Amino acid sequence: MLTQLHNVERNLNQVILGKPHQIRLALCCLLAEGHLLLEDLPGMGKTTLAHALADSLGLSYRRVQFTSDLLPGDLVGMNIYDSRSQQFRFQAGPVFSQVLLADEINRASPKTQSALLEAMEEKQVSIDGETRALPKPFFVIATQNPLFHAGTSALPESQLDRFMFRLSLGFPDRKAEHLLLQRDSSNSRLELLTEKLDLDQLRTLQQQVPQINASDSLIDYLLSLVEASRQRNDMLPLSPRASKAILRAAKAFALINNRDYVNADDVQQVFPYVAEHRLDPTSSAQESRLSTLILKATPCSI
Amino acid sequence: MLIPARLVTIWAVLQLGILLLLQQAFAVWMMALFASMLVYKLITHLSGRPAIGLKLVNLIAAVIAIALMFNLRQSGVLNFMLQILLLAAICRLLALKHSYDARQLVWVHYFLIGSCFVMHQDMLVALIIFFAFTVNLYSHFYLFAPSAVKVQWHQTGRSLLIILPLWLGMFLLFPRVPPFWQIPNAKIASSGLSDTLDPGSIEQLVRDDSLAFRAEFDGAPPSQDQLYWRSYLYEDFDGRRWQVNAVRKNRNRMPNITATGTTDNMQYRIIAEASRQYNLFALALPSKVNNDVYIGSGGLIKSNKPVSQRISYQVTGANTLIALATDNERDINLDVAEGNAETLNFARQLAKQHSTPAALVQAISAHFNQQDYYYSLTPPMLGSNSIDEFLFDTRTGFCSHYASATALILRAAGVPARVVGGYQGGVWHPQQGYLAVRQREAHAWVEYLYEDQWHLYDPTAAVAPERILDSLESALTLEQQQMLMSGWLELELLQNLRLQLMHLDYYWSVWVLGFNDNNQQAIWRNLRQHITLIAITFTTLLALIFAGFVFSWWRNRPLNSTHAATLLIQRQLGKLLQSKAANQSMSAFLRQLSAQHPTQRDWLILLTLSYEQAVFNNDTHALKSLQKQLKCNSKRLKILRRSIKNT
Repeated sequence: MLTQLHNVERNLNQVILGKPHQIRLALCCLLAEGHLLLEDLPGMGKTTLAHALADSLGLSYRRVQFTSDLLPGDLVGMNIYDSRSQQFRFQAGPVFSQVLLADEINRASPKTQSALLEAMEEKQVSIDGETRALPKPFFVIATQNPLFHAGTSALPESQLDRFMFRLSLGFPDRKAEHLLLQRDSSNSRLELLTEKLDLDQLRTLQQQVPQINASDSLIDYLLSLVEASRQRNDMLPLSPRASKAILRAAKAFALINNRDYVNADDVQQVFPYVAEHRLDPTSSAQESRLSTLILKATPCSI
Repeated sequence: MLIPARLVTIWAVLQLGILLLLQQAFAVWMMALFASMLVYKLITHLSGRPAIGLKLVNLIAAVIAIALMFNLRQSGVLNFMLQILLLAAICRLLALKHSYDARQLVWVHYFLIGSCFVMHQDMLVALIIFFAFTVNLYSHFYLFAPSAVKVQWHQTGRSLLIILPLWLGMFLLFPRVPPFWQIPNAKIASSGLSDTLDPGSIEQLVRDDSLAFRAEFDGAPPSQDQLYWRSYLYEDFDGRRWQVNAVRKNRNRMPNITATGTTDNMQYRIIAEASRQYNLFALALPSKVNNDVYIGSGGLIKSNKPVSQRISYQVTGANTLIALATDNERDINLDVAEGNAETLNFARQLAKQHSTPAALVQAISAHFNQQDYYYSLTPPMLGSNSIDEFLFDTRTGFCSHYASATALILRAAGVPARVVGGYQGGVWHPQQGYLAVRQREAHAWVEYLYEDQWHLYDPTAAVAPERILDSLESALTLEQQQMLMSGWLELELLQNLRLQLMHLDYYWSVWVLGFNDNNQQAIWRNLRQHITLIAITFTTLLALIFAGFVFSWWRNRPLNSTHAATLLIQRQLGKLLQSKAANQSMSAFLRQLSAQHPTQRDWLILLTLSYEQAVFNNDTHALKSLQKQLKCNSKRLKILRRSIKNT
């Protein structure tokens, strides 16, 4: 199963050139059953990555382009009166899919954003007092433009907190871009994807993640990182949900790296991507100033 | 490997120090020669010039060795050996290039430093010698680990900590073995009184402030006017000088005097300074002594060999008169020699007026007391009939003048009499409980024979009773007192300091130098008496130490495999961890190590794996294999640690 995952990873690397680390982290996020936030300038390939991920996982996915006039109903669906049966019939929205691609999530109004919020956390939606469960698994892969761009409204802290990872692809290096231009073809690059994970495989992998071993001293180290954020006043303190997310992410990272235990390096690797947007919601994903600060200041004896 | 530059400097200075400490063994020209060789080495070395070639050094050494050999008779065997040894060390230093050349040199230094104790037993010098020893120890470690600064200091400190209790234990408990070989006597000028007493010899001693001996008494010390420390008997008179009779120079023991029925009423201990003489000191009539001394004829205490080191001995004696041993002794002490006619006349007149010696002595006292006689340390020079001139002309003198005049008068009057040389009084230190007798307490008095007993008579007491009852200073005028004081002594603080040092030196001589077989046996006896107590203390101590170990183990005990592995690797990597960033994980650090040392890569990677398994997976098997790997690779680890240190 893991080999298949690695095949998928290799395949993804052929689609998104020169970003192996981000791809691994993105896969790691999905294995950890977390939602993924991709933040980048327009045209950096974040939508492509989101597509490619959804594609590779072999899940049903829907894509919603968020705009300022998108209403919550457009997202979760609504009850429509069927004149023939003289009954209200539920018309499911795009959120009822295994993977929701929320493109440019910060263009939507806060009201719509918070509708997504419930769906992300509870894995269910309530429409007209009726609660409907979302399919399993349910991922949100959201992309957003950096906040200083026109026509964006910032995601509130509470909502940012629901994204396990925040990644930024950044510019490709010269060699990768060279290759990209060379291979330029009219076809979508997504056609390159041949290796896919089926649902069972994904589930099994996801079930393996919690079983990855995290020793006491590792948890101690993680807690000392978290506590460091709580003792400073130049950053938001990391919540227990955040520490849970860090551990889960580290476990998934260890799994991808073919280990049955988490080591300190795993924690150090995932920490910036899990913690930075929680420490400072206004920060840009390209930088990881605060999390690096914490990593540097916290001694590691293991 | 080339010799570290600093080491040469240290050794040059050390050898200069040894040269100074051993200076008594060297003639002036040798001192100058050796010192200039060392200074030359120091200067050339510090200015960065290379060492002298071996051939030239060998030539120099040969020439100097021959010169030393020619001097052998003057310097004596012991000094010659020290000279040759130091010459060898200096020449080795002159030609020193490689560190392996230096290995014997360090050991020779130890020997030279040790041999300084032949010359000195003072506490201060002992401290200096100990310091020189420490410097050499440091240089020893420096020689073998020139780059590891911490190691040198640590090792030096550790060695000293190990050595000190060992020294103390050996000193207290190791049986005193007699020397394997006789140390040839160093030829050094003697100090104190001498075989000859002429007017003026004591005058020089009086200017000498150094210590002659110390005395402790069992019970209260006798009063000052009873403290006549006998050392020499001057019985041969040639008209001007008094000399020790040949009979007194042989090693005859005094006939057993306990038979005379006197009871011993004094017990005291003398700690005599080195004087290079046989004669020691005693009050009145000693009957029993211990250690290397004996009671010679005339009741004088003598040493078996010249006193070249501070020695201590116990005396039991009576404060009574000394009996006449032989008739020959009487005859010797009646000789008046030639000259001094006036004195002889004067004596005969006195003899007609006073029949008994006691009356005669009283008359002499009265004469000195009633006529214009003065006590002075700067008497005028005397001519050939010295006693005539003193008695009837200058009338100024000090103890030896009065003593020799009185002895001559008594002899001329038909009473056998002799001059006794020794010390009178001393400075009593009540807190420390000892009497310090300095050279300036040197004194001369008279003994005359009456009814087969020698009676003590001190004519100086008639002229300057303060000299006897109090001290020498009080008998002098202010001007004379000032003449005695050397400049710095006037500072009260310094004087006090000097006194304290003297007390310290006293304890040193009592407890360290005076520590002998008897004391040692006493310690063993004591130990045996308190064997249960010692056993209990020892066991308790051991138990405490053991408990401490257990406690510290318990506090640092590994809580689980994770903790154990962390502790294990931290302990094994040790100083390597200095190059690990605090926030770096151990596995990342190990990976970095293997990147830095590609030759060590394989086992380091395996080690990382086991470590991670143990720490992050709570795998006890991995912990065991980690232990095994660390053990197998301990040598490589050592190499790694060293390479880190050197960078």
